[in-house]
Amino acid sequence: MNAIEANHLGKAYRKGGIGPPTLFGTLSRTLRGRRHEEFWALQDVSFAVESGRTVGVIGPNGSGKSSLLGLVAGTITPTRGTVRTEGRLSSLLELGAGFHPDLSGRENVFLNAALLGIAREDVRRRYDHIVAFAGLSEFMDMPVKHYSSGMYVRLGFAVATELNPDVLLVDEVLAVGDIAFQLKCLDRIRDFQRRGKTLLLVSHALQTVEEFCHEAFLLYHGKMVARGDPPDVILAYMTSYMGEGGYLYRQEFGTREVEFTQVTLRGADEAESATFTTGRPVHVDVGYRAKQRIESPVFGFSIKTGNGLYVFGSNTQMAKTPVPFIEGEGVIRLTLDPLTLKGGNFFLSLSIHSPDHATQYHRREDWYPFVVKDPTETPGLFALHSAWRMLPGPQREL
Amino acid sequence: MNLLRDILAHRELLQNLVARDIKSRYKGSALGFLWSILNPLFMAVIYIFFLRLLAGRGVPHEDVIIGVFAWQFTVQCVTGGMTCITGNSNLVKKVYFPRVLLPISVVVANLINFLLTLAVQLVLVAVLLAMKGSHLAGWTAALPAIIVYHSLFNLSLALLVAAANVYFRDTQHLVGLLLSAWFFVSPVMYNLSFVEKFAGPALTPAYLLNPVALIITAYRAAQVPGALFPWSWSAAGAWVWPLALLVLAWRIFQRAQRNFADWL
Repeated sequence: MNAIEANHLGKAYRKGGIGPPTLFGTLSRTLRGRRHEEFWALQDVSFAVESGRTVGVIGPNGSGKSSLLGLVAGTITPTRGTVRTEGRLSSLLELGAGFHPDLSGRENVFLNAALLGIAREDVRRRYDHIVAFAGLSEFMDMPVKHYSSGMYVRLGFAVATELNPDVLLVDEVLAVGDIAFQLKCLDRIRDFQRRGKTLLLVSHALQTVEEFCHEAFLLYHGKMVARGDPPDVILAYMTSYMGEGGYLYRQEFGTREVEFTQVTLRGADEAESATFTTGRPVHVDVGYRAKQRIESPVFGFSIKTGNGLYVFGSNTQMAKTPVPFIEGEGVIRLTLDPLTLKGGNFFLSLSIHSPDHATQYHRREDWYPFVVKDPTETPGLFALHSAWRMLPGPQREL
Repeated sequence: MNLLRDILAHRELLQNLVARDIKSRYKGSALGFLWSILNPLFMAVIYIFFLRLLAGRGVPHEDVIIGVFAWQFTVQCVTGGMTCITGNSNLVKKVYFPRVLLPISVVVANLINFLLTLAVQLVLVAVLLAMKGSHLAGWTAALPAIIVYHSLFNLSLALLVAAANVYFRDTQHLVGLLLSAWFFVSPVMYNLSFVEKFAGPALTPAYLLNPVALIITAYRAAQVPGALFPWSWSAAGAWVWPLALLVLAWRIFQRAQRNFADWL
């Protein structure tokens, strides 16, 4: 059964017209026979989400992600096409959207719950639970205008997730509060998944999408340009759309006395690829061009996860494979064998510098995205060599 | 009817919205609810004083008081209705619920407010009448019906201005002007017999096509002995057309609400 079904969904906004519309503006435009130009925030998007699945929507800013969520939530009306949802729907489009600043936390809990369609009786029964989850038991009689922004969203999240929706829409609200609260939020999301709920979540945190979603949609300029297995879609996003428009913090610098030329990532079969398997080798053929003879250059690499965690870095100096000199063009091969990274998205950075690090000839930071797929089901970021063994000796009766 | 089904299905939300409106209205003011009574009372006193001073025409005090209290109810519904969508843009853009609950909650909150002020107003009118050796008319039993009718009329206005203000922010300025004009053409600080003296009895039925004139006259007929309601076929017609307006306003609002999120 499909929990969400969208058919040729489209949403157009009028371009131009800064600020709220005015009577005079509309009249003069109508008299001059001029019409607003249309801007399609979303165009011809069709999909179905099976009940119980979690789908992540990714894409650069302005790609139509929030419009899509708004259309599914029913807060905006489609210009074209239809969207249908099955079961009770709740949206975390904005936490604490209905809070009234002058009312107390307690009053706002009931108001917000009513907005989300939770019966008063349910709220009353679960009130202590909500307050405990938000961790605000001492502040419930205080007007929310005196809350910190963290307290505000925590209360909003606690209310919104207390109800028992069949379909939950989440718009980039998981990154609220401090780390402890974020972990609680993610636990809540996992709990929803365990209970077989359908989730549609928009996030810029690619790692979250990868970790939680069964499927990912990539939106670009209002169109769905890719969908499927999250790591593949995320890779497509990183390689094709992120660099353009500076969405990615990738940078390149150096004196360019030596330059990278062709850099090719190859799998175990030597074929060019951007998707690799845990436990198999990866080769990176780094082409270079030295404009003059460079004595003892150092080639280095480093790997970061999709959300910027530095995983590992090394260079020819540390690896004790010094390069005496380079001149002209050539290729140096970096091999990672076996690849001990677990499933996910990663970035490879490359560098050429002088042995004392004083001169950076050429650096490319976060330049080469790649995906690792892990055939085993073990969770984590990194495969550690691990083994279990019973130690000899009798087991004692208790 | 759609209207009733929507309200029933979301009555808890409606209760909450009304409570929010009422609670937040007087938060932080020392006199609180008293302002609801003081406002129309001051207005009535000012009008009575200046009418005496300037015109010297004999409009009974109780008529002015009834008029001002009723007029305040309509004004508050219109001004509250005007901002009920634009002022809750965050809510409208981010949470789905029937939008119509917002103008309805404005009217209900003001109705509750009006009922409380009405209690004070009834006492005032009774005292004023007693000073003349008179007493409240027996028609006060008809008040609930008039109040319901008045509220429905206010709802149609709230629906219209709420929707209009989303599309044209000029509405707030325009409505301010229209309200002051409407105040003067409606029998708030004068009464129907004043109109009859002024324009002749033939025009009275046409005058009652103004629903505010109709409603205020009905309030007076229900409370002041001798202020009878001029029943006629055309007056009966005057009762019907505001109901058609409600249906129309409802339709317009429902059409308009589809694009609210885009325009806010």
